[in-house]
Amino acid sequence: MKDFKILKFLDLFKGLFEMLGVDYPVMRKILNVKLILDGRRTSTVLSNQNTKKKKEEEDKNNFIRSLGIYFLMGIFLILYVLIGDNYLFQMSLVFSIIMFLLMTSLIADFSSVLLDTKEKEILLSRPVDSRTFNMARILHIFIYISMITFAIAGPSLIASLFRHGLDFFLIYLCEIVLVTLFVIILTALIYLLVLRFFSGEKLKDLINYVQIGLTIVMSLGYQIIVRIFNFVDIDNMEYKASLWKYLVPPIWFSAPFELIINKNYNNYIIFYSILALIVPILSIIIYVKLVPTFERYLQKFDSADGKTRDKNRFTIFLSKIVCKNKDERAFFKFATNMLRNERTFKLKVYPSIGMSIIFPFLVVISMNFRDLSNLINTKFYLWIYTSFMMIPTVIWSLECSGNFKGAWVFVTMPIRDKSVINKGILKAAIVNLFLPVYIFVAMVFLLLYKMQIIDQILVAGTNMFLYTIVVFRMMGEFLPFSKAFEVTENTTGGRKEFLILLLIAGFALIHYLITMTSYGTYIYIPLAIIISRFAWKKAIL
Amino acid sequence: MEPIISIRDLKKSYGNKEVLKGINLDIFKGEIIGYIGPNGAGKSTTVKIILGLVGDYSGEIKIFGQDIRDGGVEYKKKIGYVPETADMYENLTAREYLSFIGELYGMEYEVANKKAEKLMDLFGIRNVYDARISSYSKGMKQKTLLISALINNPDILFLDEPLSGMDANSVMVFKEVMAELIKRGKTIFYSSHIMDVVEKISKRIILINKGEIVADGSFEEIKGQSMEGSLEEIFNQLTGFEEHERIAKDIVSTIMEGAV
Repeated sequence: MKDFKILKFLDLFKGLFEMLGVDYPVMRKILNVKLILDGRRTSTVLSNQNTKKKKEEEDKNNFIRSLGIYFLMGIFLILYVLIGDNYLFQMSLVFSIIMFLLMTSLIADFSSVLLDTKEKEILLSRPVDSRTFNMARILHIFIYISMITFAIAGPSLIASLFRHGLDFFLIYLCEIVLVTLFVIILTALIYLLVLRFFSGEKLKDLINYVQIGLTIVMSLGYQIIVRIFNFVDIDNMEYKASLWKYLVPPIWFSAPFELIINKNYNNYIIFYSILALIVPILSIIIYVKLVPTFERYLQKFDSADGKTRDKNRFTIFLSKIVCKNKDERAFFKFATNMLRNERTFKLKVYPSIGMSIIFPFLVVISMNFRDLSNLINTKFYLWIYTSFMMIPTVIWSLECSGNFKGAWVFVTMPIRDKSVINKGILKAAIVNLFLPVYIFVAMVFLLLYKMQIIDQILVAGTNMFLYTIVVFRMMGEFLPFSKAFEVTENTTGGRKEFLILLLIAGFALIHYLITMTSYGTYIYIPLAIIISRFAWKKAIL
Repeated sequence: MEPIISIRDLKKSYGNKEVLKGINLDIFKGEIIGYIGPNGAGKSTTVKIILGLVGDYSGEIKIFGQDIRDGGVEYKKKIGYVPETADMYENLTAREYLSFIGELYGMEYEVANKKAEKLMDLFGIRNVYDARISSYSKGMKQKTLLISALINNPDILFLDEPLSGMDANSVMVFKEVMAELIKRGKTIFYSSHIMDVVEKISKRIILINKGEIVADGSFEEIKGQSMEGSLEEIFNQLTGFEEHERIAKDIVSTIMEGAV
């Protein structure tokens, strides 16, 4: 079997793992297999052989390409590192950005790995103890997350070597590792906490709300960091240590720079520095100790509750309103149920829904009172377009399913017009996911603007519909629920995905131009409706 | 003789639902046990608890005389397990998967690899040894699963529907393998819904219904308890099921309704 370099590197820490009670050789083998599996993709049942090979190569590059995006973001971090010598401020900003990006990636792409129960059957029935099994699981995630971390932090790390010297570089390097570990374990512990208090079916729904919640909290957390410091200018900033600030992790990690390089021996700086070192290590120990408990709670995750109820009546009612065609109606109902029940789908999609809810208001939240009262005269509502970001993720995920092999039914069924499949499924996504988010975001904007921008909100609405069609069209050949979710796959990956995201800005720009004319919106809305009706008929195949 | 597996008052509930209501069992070396019961009776749960896949039970389970709660995972080295759901890492080839499993059991890679290859050959699927498991037919997957359970030369085998998807010839071979293993002192815990097979191969039959053991003994002994007919019929009687004809008729008439 292939031996990975990363595992050879891991061998250096063999003693450490054995100290934690892990059966190292066994864990190494499990990791090796997991890495082999990541390099391979489940062949979709219905794809023919000759396209398969090409696809495989594409998938391998997918993760690498998504690293490219993180690398680009990392280049922006250089600015924060270079800008001055106020390490406490600069570095806590840098770390909060790193932590935010890591945690969102973890919650969106690795929750399914963390909460997987299927593997247990294979591994734990052999002489593998659950501590080793879980360490393998955490390390597997750690390998990918640390690649992402280094893509984000790499550019600023190198830049810091030239600007601030070797000491800074070394502290930064060590802390990146600590932060990565801390974020992974923290996520696992949060899940553990949630698993502790809830059981069965309820838990499965709850996990998704936790995801949304975490995403929102972290988006807000970023704002808080900026507010902790009283801005005067970058080298002349006041910092008052108050008790609650001890609870903000990015500040801990920024303190060692202040301590070692600026020789700032304030009590709170020392205390933060200690926290930065102790808490990540402590969290690992706690996690290892709690692993058996985690396993036990995870069982609840898969066990079915006794009571079941037919929840389909409302869906049937909806389907009659939304779909004329009978087959289409069937697929609408089917997709609605899949969206609601498929755990992996929700794990992947709900974080981006959370972001879509919070992003339009991020700037509003950080406004002061004067700006806020002036809001009504601005074109701030254009931020509504940031909520479009969930659309590509959702549509991409619609193609995947935990039980992707079930997709053979689409081919064996006697369906005359195949376009009804995708029409029904797309409508289900619009009605169940896009519309509720749009309505919520639109309502908040309408309230902020005292109901004066109804026409603008409608323009955004029609654009949302148009954008959905365009994104779907750009996905290429589409068969719903027919591919497996993979770890290495990423929704915010390659060039096409980037283009799709760029299109959002295009739509916002069109909207902006329309607002420059006096009757633009009244012409645009009917026009957009006609275009989208036409596009819907022609483009959804 | 000391029992190889001993279960005392085993109870397990999921929420308010009690799936096992106090199982008591002693299993001895060289026994082949047919473990039967209707769907949802608690068969798989028992096996999963023994294997440590499900925790939080009350009662006591001893394997090779040692309580599984304080023995760590060592005891699993002597156990082979074929689960009903044939979960494997299907993106691996059989060579990769089987040698990996062998290594988990503590075997050397080369030993496990050679052994797996030979077994694949004997089961007549040597030609796909280096193909991904996901491309296998159902029967081939089942054989791979069987090999993964046998590769460590286990003393106790837990088999859950081990013959599913296999062709008649392979079934014959495997039944013979089981008989041969028993002769050499192995213990087999055989769980299935196909009653004729259970009736033929098992020296002892345990019937579980709604989380309780309702019959335990050889086929003749169970029959002796005022029952008659084949194991299938006894199964129906013991689980209180006598309406199969009426239900079958209802099913057929429902199929005929509302056809397009």
